[in-house]
Amino acid sequence: MKRLTIVLIAVVALLAGSASAQRVNLLCSPDLAWCEALGPAFTAATGIDLEFIRVSSQDALARLSAERANPIFDVWFGGTGDPHLIAMREGVTEFYEPEAWDDIIQNLKDQVGGTYIPLYAGAIGFVVNEEALGGAPMPTTWRDLTDPVYKGLIAMPDPNSSGTAYTILATLVQIFGEDEAFELLEGLHQNIAQYTSSGSAPGTLAGRGEVAIAIQFMHDGIKFANQGFPLTVYAPDEGVGYEIGGLSLVANAPNRDAAIAFINWALTPEAQQIAALQGDSFQIQSNANTVQHPLAPNFDEINLIDYDFDRFGTPEVREQIVGRWTNEIFPQPR
Amino acid sequence: MATTPPSTPQQSGRNRLVVSGAWLPALVAAVAFLTLPFGRPGRAFFTFDPSFYPWSLGSPALWLVLGAALALLALSPLRLNTAVRGDLLLVVGSVGLAVGLGWFIATGVPFGIGAVVVLGGLGFAVGHALSESGRVQGDAFVASSILFVSLFIVLFIIYPLFTVLRAAVVVDGAFDLSQFQRTVTHPLFFFLDNPRSAIDEVGLTYRWGAAFAALSAAWAAFRRRSLPTIASRIVLGGLLGLIVGVMLYGRGALPTSLLTVAIVAPTCTLLGLAFALLGQRSRFAPVRRSLDVISVLPIITPPFILAFAMIFLLGRRGIITYNVFDLSSPFIFGIPGVAIAQILAFTPIAYLLLRGSISSLNPALEEAAQTLGADRWTTLRSITWPLVRPGLAAAFLLSMIESLADFGNPLILGGNRNFLATEVYLSLTGRFNPNEAAAYGVVLLALVLFAFFVQRWWLGGGSFVTVTGKPTSGVVTRIPVWLETTLTVVLVVWTIFVAALYLSIVVGSFAQLWGVNYTFTTRHYQDFMRAGWPVFLYTARVAAISAVPAMLLGFLVAYLVVRQRFWGRRFVEFGSLLSFATPGTVMGVAYIFAFNTGPWLMTASAAIIILALVFRNMPVAIRAAVAGLAQIDPSLEEASTMLRARSLTTMRRVVFPLLVNTLVTGLIFAFVSAMTAVSQVIFLVSPGNQLSTVLLLGWVEQGQLGRAAAMGTVLIVSMLFTIVVVLALARRIGTRLVGVEGR
Repeated sequence: MKRLTIVLIAVVALLAGSASAQRVNLLCSPDLAWCEALGPAFTAATGIDLEFIRVSSQDALARLSAERANPIFDVWFGGTGDPHLIAMREGVTEFYEPEAWDDIIQNLKDQVGGTYIPLYAGAIGFVVNEEALGGAPMPTTWRDLTDPVYKGLIAMPDPNSSGTAYTILATLVQIFGEDEAFELLEGLHQNIAQYTSSGSAPGTLAGRGEVAIAIQFMHDGIKFANQGFPLTVYAPDEGVGYEIGGLSLVANAPNRDAAIAFINWALTPEAQQIAALQGDSFQIQSNANTVQHPLAPNFDEINLIDYDFDRFGTPEVREQIVGRWTNEIFPQPR
Repeated sequence: MATTPPSTPQQSGRNRLVVSGAWLPALVAAVAFLTLPFGRPGRAFFTFDPSFYPWSLGSPALWLVLGAALALLALSPLRLNTAVRGDLLLVVGSVGLAVGLGWFIATGVPFGIGAVVVLGGLGFAVGHALSESGRVQGDAFVASSILFVSLFIVLFIIYPLFTVLRAAVVVDGAFDLSQFQRTVTHPLFFFLDNPRSAIDEVGLTYRWGAAFAALSAAWAAFRRRSLPTIASRIVLGGLLGLIVGVMLYGRGALPTSLLTVAIVAPTCTLLGLAFALLGQRSRFAPVRRSLDVISVLPIITPPFILAFAMIFLLGRRGIITYNVFDLSSPFIFGIPGVAIAQILAFTPIAYLLLRGSISSLNPALEEAAQTLGADRWTTLRSITWPLVRPGLAAAFLLSMIESLADFGNPLILGGNRNFLATEVYLSLTGRFNPNEAAAYGVVLLALVLFAFFVQRWWLGGGSFVTVTGKPTSGVVTRIPVWLETTLTVVLVVWTIFVAALYLSIVVGSFAQLWGVNYTFTTRHYQDFMRAGWPVFLYTARVAAISAVPAMLLGFLVAYLVVRQRFWGRRFVEFGSLLSFATPGTVMGVAYIFAFNTGPWLMTASAAIIILALVFRNMPVAIRAAVAGLAQIDPSLEEASTMLRARSLTTMRRVVFPLLVNTLVTGLIFAFVSAMTAVSQVIFLVSPGNQLSTVLLLGWVEQGQLGRAAAMGTVLIVSMLFTIVVVLALARRIGTRLVGVEGR
């Protein structure tokens, strides 16, 4: 028993005695490759160490809320806007006006107001593996997806676990009106092979021909296509919704100064270019001076809907739409 | 011969005890109280913040703790009857311990380094007191062990689970069942009547109920049972039929998980039995040897990866389904895929359990029955069946628990069905609802405990830890040729399929794009070295550190439960059972609830991960140690005790060397399980404390399958290597220490 105690104490001593030195703890929600590329570049630029954990934006909000009394993280980097908005409203994060605030694309700033810092924008789209369609035509509209020729050929994320899926639902509700949107979802449901728990997983399946059509963010599709998967990425004719990825300072951050240094650095054009060049991420970067990567979707050529972030970012609206999906679509037999 | 308790000579020795053994731990406690901070301001454990020393904390009650320590010190040398003095020390020590613990609970100040030493010291002092007062049979070591094991079980198993229960029914500080009610009435959880379907689910379910009731009534009548028995059979049959109906027609996580269990558990048990028969009684040595390899596969296999390998073999464009059989169906997504993955993963576990009971079947008994004129059927029913039954029940229960708790496979292969274990995770991460997560956790825990108690009732009591088999010698009867042939074919098909799966992981790790482009590349290994290697090393370190206390604690619990009789033994047994039966995601959520704020603040540290792994893997070590202890005659220990050796000495000098093999096995398995664990640690990782499996989930979610396959391959190969090397070493050490031929 004594030995056990000694061993336990030694263990705790070995492992708990870290910390000190300037460091920022990052909760990182975009692509892992991007998260990985941030650390070395940031340390090279400022001399501050960076540790990160990558979790999806949903997971991130859950963690930040759970740890609110005793935050571990300083900055929440990337991820869909809605959770950033909720976090801000619940006081889990605070708004900080960065040095580059004036350089950020005006339209993005207008959309999110003073809730979080826009980091990037990404639009929903179709990610299609033509070979796996087995001769069926490429779908060009949302309505096409309800055609029975696509039965078992479509994957999309699960609205009950993925923020991307919610953006898809909200997009459809805004284009078609709620009732018509749910009719469309009902038809779509008949064709779905798999509702994935993560937002980018549908493209993984489409790339390998397990399904032919993935509904997800275009930048994720571009990433897979860029890796060599036989995928075509485009937006349907009726239009698509989009997300504004966020950057937030955690309230009562343990390393506040380092956190602010990181936020200011992350919004510089040099830092933002890391996304596409090293990070496999092809979103539109928020700083107007950042040179956008040629593979990134050109928002001028896409029919972007006038996405109502204010309304569809509220938890009540979200709960209502996801709840209706769960009650009306999820039980549908196939 | 009347057996006297082995502690008799000790008791006479104790009466001559001049100074109570409590003085040393009491002194340590007192010194620590005055020199070390009692609390701490934040997460950092080794801070010496002046405002957290006892005198700065401004609580007069705290001085009672010091008072207790000093009083113990003063009372220790008192020339009293040892038992009376023991009682006195017991009261004083307990008061100190209770005040100390109570102070933390009342104030919510995170415990500091001083508190650990002070309360630990008081604990040892109370252990001495318990032993000297004669309230616990055994010496101070045994008494302290009992005390600390109970404390650990309360703090790291019972209390976290209690917080889950609380979170399910307490919302915003007030008792509120509505959240729980909403969860269990939500379509994600369960619904039967589906107005959008063409069939009448409720009616069909009733029909299943009626059919089962009628069948069981007919069977009971045919067996000429009494009327009340027939009536009870009708009720039971009806219930069973209703459950079957619900599983078939209901939707949501509950029926999905139940249906999966109903497919997986019997299949695993049967296949496990088949393999156990082959393993023990096959004529071919290669068959027996291949089973040894198969049996370790599930624990060395990291999560998620195998599920992807299955998609690439059995999916719509799968190598087996599409390229070989020209099938193109997404059937793999949903219950079939999850069930196949789980059967692959858990059959070896069933096999390991059944191997014990098959090898303990004494052929002489069967021969005797047949000599007495029993036919084959009677022999099977009256001799073989009762002997195999506990093993079958254990295998069934274990595969059931594993299936219910499985997290990785449903996450990847779930299709449009959802499962209980993943809902715990998704309701917390996807819907930010801790109360809902807790409600799912409670349901899951209730199901597991229900299954456990049904099994116990069916076996008519008996201890879960002591179900083990002892190998018997003697001529083994061969199984009939036709049966052996069939089973061998099953095994061969199984082996080919499993080999194909693992091979495809290795191939995937070297392919440009797993599933699409099979050009050779080492790119994924380079990526793994860059992004995954530090995490892999860290995980190995944490897993190794956690394995030692897991093994020691497991050994201690086993020793206490098997060899000692004490008040609360059932509790220790039940507590360790709980840690083993609780699904990993539930325990993970429980640790977040329990250790994120307040006195036991420990999140965002390596310590919490280690603790989670220790208590998760302790049962593995318990099982190993119990099995080992069963083979050692207690008279050896008694002899040692008679010669005045203390129990710690006996343990170290007698029991330990005899058990080296078993313990090293336990250690290795605890280490390997810790390396591949995911559900219990997924909520506990933090910056700088990242684990391979959690990273693996991130890669899988991001579609970095090549890299994930590379990490999977490294994990599988290194774990296999560890097992082989360490077990070989242990066999040699064991041989040297004991001086007998290794088994």
